[in-house]
Amino acid sequence: MTIWAVLQVLILVLIVVGSVLAVWLKDLLASVIALGGSSLLLSLEFYLLQAPDVAIAEAGVGAALTTAIFVLAIRKTQRKEEE
Amino acid sequence: MIVALPFAVGGVALLVSILVCMVRLSIGPTAADRAVALDTINTLVVATMMLLGAAFDEVVLLDVALVYALLSYVGTLFIARYLEGGLD
Repeated sequence: MTIWAVLQVLILVLIVVGSVLAVWLKDLLASVIALGGSSLLLSLEFYLLQAPDVAIAEAGVGAALTTAIFVLAIRKTQRKEEE
Repeated sequence: MIVALPFAVGGVALLVSILVCMVRLSIGPTAADRAVALDTINTLVVATMMLLGAAFDEVVLLDVALVYALLSYVGTLFIARYLEGGLD
């Protein structure tokens, strides 16, 4: 198992952890934050697979656009999920 | 693929610190804790991209780190403005 396999496995485990958190958390702002972390690690995985253009697109969409739009949507509706 | 091993070892160390930040992101009591954890993860990912760009020995890969360092600021800014009660 080379050092590159260790890197890939670490990034993939972190993506899974972030995605589970994004679904599991009740606070919608925390869920958006977990989704942002997951998408930036996905961008790092694209980078590691040597696709820099896809990594730039994923960084632009995942980090800036979806976070901003989700935060605006939470602002207009409600933050806590109802039980 | 000509790679330098010490850069890759540094990348693994940075990923382990991202894992520690992810723990804070999961258990953080307030949303501000989670926002700070996300900002730290952003900076660590930019550092990892620089290290891996040196390891792959390609100049093009450094552009991604530059774009990411610019864009991660916008996401953190929106979350901070929401927490401050702005965005009206």
